[in-house]
Formats: sequence, C-alpha cells, structure tokens
Amino acid sequence: MEKNKTSEDSIKILNRRSFIIIIFGAILSIIVSLRLFSLQVINFNFYKKKSVENKLSIKLTPPLRGDIYDSKKNLLAGSSSLYEFVVFKNLSKDHLHEIKSLDSLIKLKLNLGEISKQLKKYNEYSGFSLSRASWEQIVEFEKNKFLFNSIKIIESKKRYYPYQNFSQIIGYMGQPTQSSELYSKGVFHLERSYEKHLRGTSGKIFSEVNAKGKTIREISIEKSIKGNDLDLTLDLTLQNYAQSQLPLDKKGSIVVISVSDGSILSMNSNPTFDAQIFEDRENTKIKDLLNDDQKPLLNRAFSGFYPPGSVFKPISALVGLQRKLIDSKNEVFCKGHSSLGDRNYYCWKKEGHGKVNLKKAIKESCDVYFYELAKKTNIDDIASLSSNLGLNKEYDIGLSNIGKGLVPSKKWKKAFLDESWYQGETLITCIGQGYNQTSPLQLATLYSAILNGGKYPIPKLDKNTPTRFTGKLLNNEHKKIIVNSLNAVVQEPRGTAHKLSISNPEFVKIGGKTGTSQVIRIKESEREDDEYKSKEIEERFKDHSVFVGYAPYDKPKYIASVIIENGGSGSAVAAPIAHKVLNFAYKNNV
Amino acid sequence: MFREFKSIYNLNWIYLFILLIIFWIGEINLYSAAGGSFDPWAANQLTRFLFFLPLFFLIIMLEPKFIYNFAEIFLILVLIGLITTLIFGYTGMGATRWIRIAGFNLQVSEFTKIALVISMAKYFHKLNAEKTIGLFKSILPLVVSIIFFILVAIQPDLGTAVIILALGLVVIFYAGIKLIYPLLSLGAILSISPILWTFLKPYQQNRIQIFLNPDLDPLGKGYHIIQSKIAIGSGGLQGNGFLEGSQSSLDFLPEKETDFVFAIFSEQFGFTGSILLISLFFIMFLIPVLKTYKLSQVFNKIILFVLSFKIFFEFLINISMTIGILPVVGVALPFMSYGGSSLLSNLIICALMLNFMSINERKRMFS
Repeated sequence: MEKNKTSEDSIKILNRRSFIIIIFGAILSIIVSLRLFSLQVINFNFYKKKSVENKLSIKLTPPLRGDIYDSKKNLLAGSSSLYEFVVFKNLSKDHLHEIKSLDSLIKLKLNLGEISKQLKKYNEYSGFSLSRASWEQIVEFEKNKFLFNSIKIIESKKRYYPYQNFSQIIGYMGQPTQSSELYSKGVFHLERSYEKHLRGTSGKIFSEVNAKGKTIREISIEKSIKGNDLDLTLDLTLQNYAQSQLPLDKKGSIVVISVSDGSILSMNSNPTFDAQIFEDRENTKIKDLLNDDQKPLLNRAFSGFYPPGSVFKPISALVGLQRKLIDSKNEVFCKGHSSLGDRNYYCWKKEGHGKVNLKKAIKESCDVYFYELAKKTNIDDIASLSSNLGLNKEYDIGLSNIGKGLVPSKKWKKAFLDESWYQGETLITCIGQGYNQTSPLQLATLYSAILNGGKYPIPKLDKNTPTRFTGKLLNNEHKKIIVNSLNAVVQEPRGTAHKLSISNPEFVKIGGKTGTSQVIRIKESEREDDEYKSKEIEERFKDHSVFVGYAPYDKPKYIASVIIENGGSGSAVAAPIAHKVLNFAYKNNV
Repeated sequence: MFREFKSIYNLNWIYLFILLIIFWIGEINLYSAAGGSFDPWAANQLTRFLFFLPLFFLIIMLEPKFIYNFAEIFLILVLIGLITTLIFGYTGMGATRWIRIAGFNLQVSEFTKIALVISMAKYFHKLNAEKTIGLFKSILPLVVSIIFFILVAIQPDLGTAVIILALGLVVIFYAGIKLIYPLLSLGAILSISPILWTFLKPYQQNRIQIFLNPDLDPLGKGYHIIQSKIAIGSGGLQGNGFLEGSQSSLDFLPEKETDFVFAIFSEQFGFTGSILLISLFFIMFLIPVLKTYKLSQVFNKIILFVLSFKIFFEFLINISMTIGILPVVGVALPFMSYGGSSLLSNLIICALMLNFMSINERKRMFS
C-alpha cells in the first residue's frame, strides 16, 4: 500500500513534468511560427526582391558609338567589326589546355599564367576574351576548329578612323580604367569631351539564371541605343590639303577658320599620328608614339605656344590709335634702331625704313615705328586689348591640352616673376616678342576679331553649337586703317608678303601679316653683325616662321594661321603655305 | 517475443495516418527539390520506406516486455557501433559518421538516441518505487548520456550529439528530478560556455559565428542561411505553388534535399503550408503524449513521451536552423530530409509509439 502511494505520487510528477515539456514545445513552436511570420509575411517583399535579384541576370550589350562627320557628312570616325577569340569555361573542362594549344597553333603570344588566374574568377557561362583575331588567324582557326570546344570567335565593334589627319582633333579611345566602366571610352580630344554624347545607351538582356550563372531562359531584351552622331565644322578636303602643305621635315601647324561664324575648317599639326593604332592595339607603334621626342601627340595648333612676332603688331597699333598716341598720318623716322635709356632696340631692316607712317609700318613691318609707339604705351593697355581680341583665352571646344598662352602685364610679372615691369619690355612686347605666347588658333581668332571689328565669333568645332560672339567693338575707322594696312602687306609693292601676289597672281587675293618669332634673343652685337642672317644657326635655334592671312582681302571669308617651327622668316616659308591653303579653301568654297 | 496478431486491431490508426501524410509530404517535397522528378531522391526514399516497412510492423508486434528486457543490450550494441564508427567508419564531408553494414551506410548515432531513451526508461522504471529522484540517482544516466554525447561529438557531429544529450536530460527531467538540479546545471553550463567554446572545432565555431551574423561570409558558410531565408521569405503567405520555387529549382539553395529541405517546402507552400506542417508534427507529438496520461508504468510513459518528443524536437531544431534562429548544426527534418538512417530511426520510433500506445496496462507486463 505504501509502495502504491509513492508510485502514484511519482506518476503525478511525471504527468506534471510532461505538461511542462509540452508547454516548452508549444512555446518553441510559437517562436518558430512568429519567425516564419516575420520572414514570409512581414518581410515578404524584401525576400521576394532578393529572390528575384538572385535569379535575374542583367547582361549589358554595348551600344554602337555615335559617328563623327565633317561639315559635309564625310565619315571621320565610325565603328567597324572586330573579331575576338573568346573562351567559354562551361563548354569544355579542358579549356585551359585548349587555350594553350590555340596559343601554340596561332601564335597569339598569350600570357597563359595571367589568363588562367583571371579565368578562375570568371563566371563559366560568360565568355572571356583572349585576344583579337585577324583574318589569317580566323582562317587558321576554322581549319582546326574541331580541336577547340571551348573557344569561339565572337564579333564586336571597334572604332574606325578612316583619315589619320584628324587624329589630333578627334583623339582616340582607351580601355576602361574602373571596374564600373564596361566598355572602352574616349580618352583624348573630342572622343573624350563628347564621350556622353557619343556613347549611347547599353542594351540589357534580362534572363533567369541558376546559381551557377547558367541562363535558363531569356525574359526580355532592351535594345541598345546608338550614341548621337557629331558633326564637325571641319572640312575633309581642306584638312587633307593643308596637311599636305606642311613641310614633312618641319614641325608646324595650320589653322583655317571662317570669319563669319568662327567655324574651324581645318586644323593641322605636323608631325601627326594615327589614332587607329590604339584601336588595333598595335603596342609597338603605341610605344614608339609615346616615346617620340617630336611629340606627335601634341597638336601645335592649340597646344603649341610661340611668341607671335610681327603678326602681333596690329594690336599695338590699335592701342596707339585708341589712346590717340598715333594716327594714320604721323610719321617716325626709322634709322634701323631706336634707343631707350642706354640700350638700342633694332629694326629687322638694319639700314632702316626712313620715314614711316602707320600703314607703312605694318606693310613693311617696321620695328622702330612700334618701338617709338611703345615708349608712350602702357603695357596693361596692350594686355587688355589682347584679351578683348581673343588672346589669353582657353577656348572650350572639347580639345585636350588646349592652352591659354600668355599676354604679359604688370600684374602678371609681379605675380609670377616677382619683378616690376620695365618699359624696355613693352618695346619688345609691342613687336610680338618677349613674354608673349600665342597658339596658331589664337592668332587666327585675333585676326577674326580684327576683321569682325572687335566683336568676334568664338571658335567652334561642333557644327551644331550656335555661333556666339564676344569681345568689344573697335572704332570702325581704326579697324579700316589696320585692315587697309594688312591688305597692303600682300597687295602693295614693298609689302613683306607682296611676293605672294606676284608669284601666284591667279590665286585668290589675300591680306595678312608676316611674323618671325625669335627662338633665342639675339645679342645686340650679333644684330650689328652683317652676317647674322646668313650665319649658320643651329636648326633648333632658328626663328619660327609665322603668317596669318585672310581671303579674299576685300571681303574676308577665311583666315589661315600658319607656323613653321624653325622655318626662318614669315614671308619666305609660312606665307606661301597660307596663300595656297586660303586659295584652296576659296576655290573649293569649303 | 511477439504479441498476438489481433492486437493490431488496437493500433492508433490516426497516428499511423498522420505519419503517412507527413511521409507523403516529404516525398512530394523531394520530388520538387529535384525539379519535378522522382529521380533521384523521392524514388530512393520511397524504396527505403518500403524496404523498412517489414521491420516497422515487426517492431509494432514486439512484446513491450521484450524491449524492456533487452534495453541494456541495445545500448551496448550502439556503443559498440559508435566505437566501430570511430575506428573503421566511412568518412564523408570531414566527419566519420557512417559504418557499412550489409551494403548500407548506417549512421549509428541516429539509433543511439532510441537506445539511450529505452535504457534510461528502464533505469527510471526500476526506481519508480522511490520518491522524487535525488541528485545521486540521476548521476548514472547523466554520465551515460554524456559519454554518448562525447562519442558522437568527436565524429564530429555536434547536431546529433546535442540531441542525444538533450534527450538524456529530458528523460531525467521527465522522470522527476528535483527542479533545483536542472536549474543549477543550466546556470553552470551558461557560466562555463566560454570555456566550452574553446573546445569546439574551428568549423563549429565558424558556424556559430556565422549563425549570429550570416553576412560575415555571404558567399561561404553564411550562404546557406542567407539563401535559405530568401527561399522561405519569398514564399510569402500563400507560397509560390507546387514546383514553383525558383530559389530551389535554380540551385541557389545548397543541401536542399537534406538539412534545408524545409526551405523547399516553405518556398512552395508559404506561411500557410508551414503552419499546417508545424501543426501536423505537433499533433503527431501530442497523440502518444496524451496516451501517457492513461498509463502508470514509468517505462511506458518515458518511451512514449520522450521518443515522441524526440521527433517533434528535431523538427523544430531543423526549422529553426533554416530560418536562422539556431546555428546550422546538421539535424535532419524527420521524414522529409533525404537520408536512410534518419528515416529508419524515426520509423522505429513511430513503430514503438504504435506499439506502446496499444498497451493495455490492466494486464501486468513487468514483474
């Protein structure tokens, strides 16, 4: 009996404990249910989105890049097909071995170690590009196709530049530098600055993939949208012609712009390069190009800065007229030099020009006339008019390394050289030497500003940008005096470029100004030396030959600015080139 | 050894029915895990089930007394089995968990759970004359449980080992140990857990760390939990529908036929389906438990209660793993995870449930 009672007690305990454990189990079930509720009901949208992201693969298809045309719709940059050897890991387990045998069969010179390292990281269903394939390589590959299960030839697009004379303006493309960039992009000049405009919009292929990235089915396709085309103001024939006129053995540049709207019609620089080598990955040529000490990548038309020489004189004359320091009649006697303090400043014509008025001073490029003017001139007036007429400016036309140049002023000298200005420096500045630094494009713009009477169109390369004018109006009388003198430079006897109208009378009649830009300051003693000009001067210290001209002289339409580095005097070298190019532009009505 | 055949009429048919429903759900689930194919998992699992069926009925027909008498023998058999596993076992996935018997890979640790509960039931049955069980009398079963825990933990199979220890503790608790002792030991375990941490293998520590923060390793070990939660969460209230589980059919879910089989189910049948499944398992747990209130024999009560609890407990642990509230320790989902040993041991338990539920205690069985 006693035993039965304790037994019943212990049964009761078991039943009570059973109840506790059931409650424990029920609580656990409720916790689990609440958690499920949280996952499946409360956070359903979050996980649904995750699950869709998990299975959805978005593959981007590259857009076709916009084409670049000249002003007459000649193609300057387009897209062409390109073939690549692409390996797909999923197609064969033996893919590494196949790459090795492809390499030895076709001599692709692949870096096998690097490739196998990269391949490990690659999704097995997306192809990995091994190398470009030339026609010969494709033919060789097709013959042995049965050997390669994992390698295919895939077509894609590359940039195509039919004319190498535009490389220094259009620029070139480069490989993506960040992982977020999927395709090559413009890295130089217009290809770079118009990247957004040209690039277009990638297409998207939405597909369902499994955990290994294999496409199960395609859901939808968004087609890629071709980038916008770009129409340039350049003229294909003029650009090619102008390039042919640049002496091959000299560095130099020609810029032709339109007087009426600032359109850049051609812009050449020698030596030049071919942008196609970047697209074709011709690595040895690229290396040579980058190491070339002639700097073919430098477009001298806007990145080359030189003292303008005598082509600068119209600015000095205009300042003199504005400040009433001179008029069209007053005369100066040129005896070959002028002195300021204890220093002599020499005219290029040692025996002197005799009596010189403004027109003669420009026509025959008398330095003494301008020295006398400069003695009364404030350098800051020169600087401010220069800036008004297009110098000392960086034109925002999409070109890389476009410079600002230099027009000296008192403030500039104090800030950069920490010295005060000497009047003697005004003398050489007024004839375009000294600190002055201008590019051929700036000089063309300067003459456009003069011909337009002060308010001039900002240079442009993109045909679809509206013409914008800038600058301050000049006194019309002053403008007439200057233009008249510039016409005389070519059209009247004794003009420094009069030879042009004699040697090519059938050409369009032009006006302009010659210039000789000193590379080294000639010592006064050497100036006195009669043999200065005939002296053997080392080639690289020879003067730069400069000419800025416009045609036709009575109703200017085109301006050509020419510089030939170390070419000698402006009248001998640069002027005939400018005349030919202006004549070509005029006769072909570009 | 065997009961009269007519005792089969007393079987709890409802329990058998629920078992079949759950197994059938498991089959459907394995079918969809294979992307709508019986091959390989659903077909194999069904073959195993049919193969195990004679044994299942054999156990139903056993005299409970036979089981009582041979309780220690079972325990010794699994002890030998576990030691054999450690010495000659077949190694897979970094652990030695299986031994090969007659062409089958057998996971002895699964059967350890049953043998341990049966022999502990016998032990406490013998003590039932005494009042509440003191600490001293609880020490032997505790020590035995810990020995088996260690034998399994060093395979290493932490999940199964923890379940074994937990079952041992549940038996001791259920059998009536003074409440003060479990509370004290809980406190002790919590206080020494930092030391226990250092005994865990790096991959086990890893699993627990990643459980606490799956984003530590989203593509490695945390991947399981993250993908499983995505699959379950995207099921929503109604589920995506049969065979419409994209995460599982697109292979985002690893171990989807074994430890993460619940994610497959839940992605297809949603919150509603999951609650129904939990309810089914809860009912399956309660049916033998309710019977225990009508029984007074401690042996019968412990067998019915603790083994029934074992199935439900493993079910909850497994789900908790897949929904990220417990670390991934490798506990199978009863009747739904693909795997022979788990299926066999759970079928044995169900057979025992059916057997013991038909006991009529008016006949004296134990002398």
